[in-house]
Amino acid sequence: MALKLLPFYLGEFKKRRRKTALITFAIAWGSLSILLLMSFGRGLSTQFRVAFRGLGDNLVMLSGGQSSVVYQGLPKGRRLRLYAADIALLRATIPEIEFICAESYNNEAISANGKETNRNVHGVGPLFDLMRSQVPAAGGRFLNPDDERHSRRVAFLGWKVAENLFGAEPPVGRQIMINRTPFTVVGVLKEKMQDSMYQGPDAEQVYVPFATYAQVNSQPYVDRIHIQPRSREVSLRVEERARAVLGRKYRFDSADKYALNAWNTIRDAEEVGKIFSGIEIFLTMIGALTLLIAAVGVTNLMYALAKERTREIGIKLAMGARRRHIVTQFVLETAFIFFQGILWGVLLAFNIVSLVRTIPLNYDNFGIESYLTRPVFSLDILLLFLTIMGALVFMAGIFPAVRASRLNPVEALRYE
Amino acid sequence: MIDCRAIKKTFHMGSASLEALRGVDLLVKAGEFISIMGPSGSGKSTLMNIIGCLDTPSAGTYDLDGRAVAGMSFDQLAEVRNRKIGFVFQNFNLLPYATAAENIELPMLFNGKSARQRRRRVEELLQQVGLLEWRQHRPSELSGGQQQRIAIARALANDPPILLADEPTGNLDSQSGEEIMAIFSGLWRQGHTVIMVTHDAGVAAHSQRTVSLLDGRVVT
Ligand SMILES: Nc1ncnc2c1ncn2[C@@H]1O[C@H](COP(=O)(O)OP(=O)(O)OP(=O)(O)O)[C@@H](O)[C@H]1O
Ligand SMILES: [Mg+2]
Repeated sequence: MALKLLPFYLGEFKKRRRKTALITFAIAWGSLSILLLMSFGRGLSTQFRVAFRGLGDNLVMLSGGQSSVVYQGLPKGRRLRLYAADIALLRATIPEIEFICAESYNNEAISANGKETNRNVHGVGPLFDLMRSQVPAAGGRFLNPDDERHSRRVAFLGWKVAENLFGAEPPVGRQIMINRTPFTVVGVLKEKMQDSMYQGPDAEQVYVPFATYAQVNSQPYVDRIHIQPRSREVSLRVEERARAVLGRKYRFDSADKYALNAWNTIRDAEEVGKIFSGIEIFLTMIGALTLLIAAVGVTNLMYALAKERTREIGIKLAMGARRRHIVTQFVLETAFIFFQGILWGVLLAFNIVSLVRTIPLNYDNFGIESYLTRPVFSLDILLLFLTIMGALVFMAGIFPAVRASRLNPVEALRYE
Repeated sequence: MIDCRAIKKTFHMGSASLEALRGVDLLVKAGEFISIMGPSGSGKSTLMNIIGCLDTPSAGTYDLDGRAVAGMSFDQLAEVRNRKIGFVFQNFNLLPYATAAENIELPMLFNGKSARQRRRRVEELLQQVGLLEWRQHRPSELSGGQQQRIAIARALANDPPILLADEPTGNLDSQSGEEIMAIFSGLWRQGHTVIMVTHDAGVAAHSQRTVSLLDGRVVT
């Protein structure tokens, strides 16, 4: 078996390490660049999606508008309002609705802890937290169905509101006055990335049960109705059906986009998705071109290195080496070189990615760094990279090996 | 043992071709010591390469121990080189990055000897050529004479019956050359068949008989 000579091949490889170091370095460098390119590209798009979901995932948000066309003899410019009763209607007529809840809001004077401020206070129905990505920070909770049923005076605060009123003190369990009515804080919103919003970032809002809100605020209509369709696929259909149902009830043209505003995150997500597909294709192209150059360079280096060994091969052949001894050695040497280079590249990339990910995010004012400091080095990236490198190893290794296998002893010994 | 008949060798370089051997007959019996002489370019090395199975003739037959070399595959030729022939070159042809011991070990790597066997044989051979304390040195740290002694030890590694030496003293001073010739004479007396190319009549005097080449033909 040729592998019996593994110690010999390894020994020769070690002796020649100084000559192969440059190639190893080139491979490590190339691997590192490609992996970072892929990881940062993936991280960028992931962060955009995360920020996008800060508002909610797969959400259709309805709000009343003004009709812009004459319909059934009714003039345009009519104001359309949504009412709490619409929730039951929509749920009854559109089976693809998973969750649905109402939201109303108003700017109120808030005071606590000797401080005063003005904030939007939102009355929100149950399951609002699921639909609108409202995750409580540790030690607190969101409003629950019991709060709603009993119209409890409890409040859930955006983290900036909490910070504003209570500073570093824990707000959960403390009292706040909303328009001179006392509310108990039950939870604070966990910090999150959010790039789309309607009444400002969630960090700045105050949420109370919808039933409680209705008691202190006499507004007869609701500002928004949030619908979560059963799946992303039915999202546009749900929106269409809601328009039809409400159009029939309030007598407006269901095609009139101004009469009923429907903000569909799925449609937005598709737009964003296209942008990121574009960015990823662009990055992949840069990566492919870079790799191609690297591949040509490495192949060239490997070939030059192999040529340098022609005389050695001649000597070995003269001493009785079989063809397989020569070829095995070349194949193994290529494997050693690439294994080392790839290992270095992967380890470096992994560590750099891990290190960059420890940079804290500033959720209060997330700028470009929030998108760039969360690279993702995932298994599928590693596998794609290894596949590409596999092709490269083959390309760089095949020429020297084939050449070596064709050498005849006399020619090899005469080679200068 | 070595039976060459009407050996021809033609080299093709582009459109030009060169007849290095034009019909050489050579019979060498086991245990003989033969020297080959002739002017530069007369085909001595070409003939040696063919006898040593490093190269194959363009025409003619070469039987080694009764077997036709012509029909052998690349790897079969390698096996012959490995077991039956020890080759010593004018320019030593040692692996520059390997130590003296590793160079001597080389032929044994290609026929499945165990590491233990190899180590023992290397030791033996180093002793035989008087370079035991130089085992860990690289060729560049050895004198020409020492390098050639390592090369001889390497040629002997698998204890081949035939030793081929192409101007083994050509790159050495006369003192070292004498030492090398003494080694070859000793090996011949131990029963090896020795074929040696040389320009030096003094060197050729060690041999039993001399074959002279001129323009690719044997002259007597
Ligand atoms: N591989 C080759 N390709 C082309 N021509 C060759 C090759 N090997 C030898 N020759 C030519 O064949 C002829 C014989 O060469 P060879 O090396 O056998 O001579 P030589 O007798 O050993 O000479 P020297 O004493 O200089 O070593 C020379 O003209 C040489 O140039
Ligand atoms: Mg010669």
